[in-house]
Amino acid sequence: MSILSLDLFLSALRLATPIALVALGETFSELSGVINVGVEGTALAGALLTAIVAYYTGSPGLALLAALAVGAFLGLVHATWAVYLRADHVVSGVAINLLVAGVALFSTRILWGWRGTSPAATTMNPWIFVVLCMLLVVWAQVYIFRTPWGLRLRVVGEHPQAADTAGINVNRTRLIYTALNGALCGLAGSFLFNNLGRFTDGMVGGRGFIGIAAMVVGNYRPLPALAAAYFFGLVDALQMRLQAYIPSQFSLILPYLLTVVVLAGFLGRANVPKALGKPYLKEGR
Amino acid sequence: MPTEAVRMEGITKAFPGVVANAGIDFSLFFGEVHGLLGENGAGKTVLMSILYGLYQPDSGQIYVRGELTRIRSPSVAIKLGIGMVHQHFMLVPRLTVLENMAVGWEPRRGPFLDRLAMKRRIEALVEEYGLSVDPEAKVEELSVGEQQRVEILKALYRGAEILILDEPTAVLTEQEVEALFRTIRALRDQGKAVVFITHKLHEAMAICDRVTVLRKGKRVGTVPISEATPEKLAEMMVGREVVFRVQPKPVSREGKELLRVEDLTVHDDRGLPAVQNVSFALFDHEILGIAGVEGNGQKELVEALTGLRLPKAGKVYVEGQEVTGLSARDLARLGLVHIPEDRQATGLILPFSLAENLILGRQREDGFALGPWAQLRGRIFRYAAEAVRTFSIVAPSLSVPVQNLSGGNQQRVILARELGRNPKVVVAHQPTRGLDVAGMEFVWEKLLELRDKGCGVLLVSMDLDEILMLADRVAVMYRGEIVGIWPREEADKHELGLAMLGGRIAAR
Amino acid sequence: MRLAKELGLVLASLALAFGVGALVAQLSGLSPGPVYRELIRGAFGDQYRIFQTLTQATPIMFTSLSFLIAFRAGLFNIGAEGQMYLGAFFGAWAGFTLILPPYFHTVVALLVGALAGAIWGFIPGWLRARRGTNEFVTTMMLSYVAIYFTSWLVSPRGPYHGTQWANQTVRILRSAELPRFVQGMQLHWGLVIAGLLSLVLWYFLFRTPRGYELRAVGQNPRAAQYAGIDVPRITILALTLAGALAGLGGAAEILGTHRRFIEFFSPGYGWDGIAGGLIARAHPLAVIPAAILIGALRAGGMGMDRAGVAPADFASVLQGIVIFFVVAPELFRIFRRIRRERRVLVHSQP
Repeated sequence: MSILSLDLFLSALRLATPIALVALGETFSELSGVINVGVEGTALAGALLTAIVAYYTGSPGLALLAALAVGAFLGLVHATWAVYLRADHVVSGVAINLLVAGVALFSTRILWGWRGTSPAATTMNPWIFVVLCMLLVVWAQVYIFRTPWGLRLRVVGEHPQAADTAGINVNRTRLIYTALNGALCGLAGSFLFNNLGRFTDGMVGGRGFIGIAAMVVGNYRPLPALAAAYFFGLVDALQMRLQAYIPSQFSLILPYLLTVVVLAGFLGRANVPKALGKPYLKEGR
Repeated sequence: MPTEAVRMEGITKAFPGVVANAGIDFSLFFGEVHGLLGENGAGKTVLMSILYGLYQPDSGQIYVRGELTRIRSPSVAIKLGIGMVHQHFMLVPRLTVLENMAVGWEPRRGPFLDRLAMKRRIEALVEEYGLSVDPEAKVEELSVGEQQRVEILKALYRGAEILILDEPTAVLTEQEVEALFRTIRALRDQGKAVVFITHKLHEAMAICDRVTVLRKGKRVGTVPISEATPEKLAEMMVGREVVFRVQPKPVSREGKELLRVEDLTVHDDRGLPAVQNVSFALFDHEILGIAGVEGNGQKELVEALTGLRLPKAGKVYVEGQEVTGLSARDLARLGLVHIPEDRQATGLILPFSLAENLILGRQREDGFALGPWAQLRGRIFRYAAEAVRTFSIVAPSLSVPVQNLSGGNQQRVILARELGRNPKVVVAHQPTRGLDVAGMEFVWEKLLELRDKGCGVLLVSMDLDEILMLADRVAVMYRGEIVGIWPREEADKHELGLAMLGGRIAAR
Repeated sequence: MRLAKELGLVLASLALAFGVGALVAQLSGLSPGPVYRELIRGAFGDQYRIFQTLTQATPIMFTSLSFLIAFRAGLFNIGAEGQMYLGAFFGAWAGFTLILPPYFHTVVALLVGALAGAIWGFIPGWLRARRGTNEFVTTMMLSYVAIYFTSWLVSPRGPYHGTQWANQTVRILRSAELPRFVQGMQLHWGLVIAGLLSLVLWYFLFRTPRGYELRAVGQNPRAAQYAGIDVPRITILALTLAGALAGLGGAAEILGTHRRFIEFFSPGYGWDGIAGGLIARAHPLAVIPAAILIGALRAGGMGMDRAGVAPADFASVLQGIVIFFVVAPELFRIFRRIRRERRVLVHSQP
């Protein structure tokens, strides 16, 4: 069948990129002990900021920086709630998703008068992101398992008290890596904009959550998570080509259904950081 | 002329609801082992945690090597040469010894962690102090004694000249304790200062040069070992003449078998056998103590007996009826109840009210509900009021969340609940852990009451003294097996200690 | 009384949220005064508008209860939107396929919708209970599946494409209609059903053993297990009920408001349900006012838009800010606790 071709695999690489970036970001924050389901909204915010800055300044580079900044900012907000104010991690993330969704609709209306979409703006080559993503994953794999900071990260997520007694600031560590997570999600959103050429409010389409699924399948390790993301990307690319043969809705369903099947079949959450989701209380009793 | 290592003056620290340290003075010299003795909750760990920078004192000064310092965090303490080995190890099970020791003080080669250099440093330390560990082993694979060695080496690696050991013998067998004492003496002779926190009198007497006794957050006094006697120390610890706390009355037995365990094999979470071919029986009017160092299968045994874990093989009978594999709820209905080890994690639902916790697990009982869809709240509240009275539970009201109650009162809630079922068999797992003396005495009295009434009590405890005080028969568990069961009169503490380490003795 | 304090906190957060909202409006070039005035007028200005608000609020009540029941069991049902779609479609299907006496037909159709939603909740529930699969992601994914699937069902080449001019089914039979209160207004008896359900849910959670068990699992699954509570069973029950509630809401929306299944009929009621559940702080009785608040924001938003003072989507922003601050009382409480702790420490000098 003419479906399998180089074109398909290249497409898969591209479509996998936002998923992989989110997976990588979430790996970092969860290794430090913070669950961030606000990745969906953060990516959307990244896409939105990219659109806005690209439109008004014409500079894709500046737009990218804006995406990173807003992502990091949302990551910090989430970390503040989850870590310092000890709110439920998932509730905080959900709140961010809802807030960003509302702001996105509102902003496009205010700025351009359209509901949920933006006009086209200058883009950069999405392949830059694809390559950047691969480099980041390789860097992350080395960073987490072969450097002192990676060791400290892992200890914070597994046994925050041990990290504390080793002189590591647990909450600050969590803050930093959650901000990093946010920045990577902003990057994912920026990719989505550059891939499409405009902003639409549905453009993340659950890819943030699929990214989390990819991280789980990758068992909290960057390289396997990347492989999982490529798998999901392949399904996404396949789905698009199948639309010529089967009703579009069915192929659209494919990636989501497959995510459920993969997660269902995936037993053994062996590497879940022990302190995931639990606030670290220093002055306990 | 010994130099002063640490001087703490007027240290006060309060937490909501309790003053942990009140104006404590403490001094420590190099080349001594200084015991910090007191009951659970006396404030020993808090004081040393302040020294280690984990807490900040509300008032008071700390001098290290004669200089006034503020120890804001553990990293400051470590820089000052203070190291601490905590009661619950600060080790990541999934990581290797090397990684656990390196974290925070990693030798580097460029941006990378220099594992080879770390390995060499560990080997050098092993040589110097004679504490052997395998750097590449994962901590989860090590025995408790080995893990403690890692903790000590970790502190030494970080340059500790002042070493704080918090209840280090709680998880060791007698032989491992001996080895630890040898290490401590060696460290002292090298000129290090050692603080030895314990609530065990005889240990303090065995290893320390001086002993400071704390009681309810205050320093009672400091005694050189030459002037210390058990009676004197005990009186300082408790503040009154220490009498043997409780004593079982002689009781006549009917010889009715309440619980029988046959060839029970239970696997742990990793699929490895934790309990192997265990058999014993529990009779009416008796307390059967199961002694042993933590981690020899007691947890899995208790879980298998209380319906929380399915045994791999073997059978369990309650009053002759087979109950193997039955759920906790069914077992309770047949008269077997459970006092869990970790009351806050598994025995109570902290945000729930006192009344709600008193029916936890019993919410479907005929007295409390009509099927799954109707709760009889009037009866529940009446029962709760009665339980509060009978068990002297101190609480502002029945609706207060149980997390507001003290540890002792929380344990009373659990006792009230489980004993209120009029059980025939009670499996009590570390029932006095973390309680003060009054709380412990209450629990002991209740257990003896059960025994006197005719119940069978299975007391699983790490505290050999507790078992020797209460039990009619003593069993020892080692590596998943019952290595022997002795009637109390024939149980010798030394022999038991040996058995707890697996020494071969004639099993009876 | 604890309840009074909680209520006070919620009102304080709302006040704060609207304050911040005014700021945001100002910064976006809108004038807060007219914005809020039109917002309130759009929601409550006259009987027509009040009815509109309540009509919008009705499906949100169902989805809020859906989120709530799962939340109380310690689970996150993010898939209410999809569950609602399935309930809506199958409720409509029962509405135009079955031949039954009036009102009885309605009830059956509602139950069919609830059943469809229940199945869609059962799947992630079972996966979580038996395989530990994280239900946040599975409910989310299945939601997309349901929305696209129902879209296909009424697509031009789909089996239930009922009319030429839009992707929707044929109209339901009169016998299946859920009655409305007033001729010409869309507000229907689903509102009453939702209200009754919130009472039922309150009773279930706080006055029955099963509900006790569910809450116990949500607070401390290990202790619940130790107490002999069947945690997997409760997990499945909670998510199945959550699905059923959302499905019922979808069916009610069709049988009462639209009278046929329309592709993409929901402007995000499922998501609003999450917001509603959070704003209600998972109290079943607070769901009604919470859903009305959200419905008011929606209706008010449309009013703002019509009056030309602000785009309707500003209401979404307001909603986001409100959630932010209502989830925040946790934070206020924690702030207060931290400050109280520090005060105790400072004052406990010997």
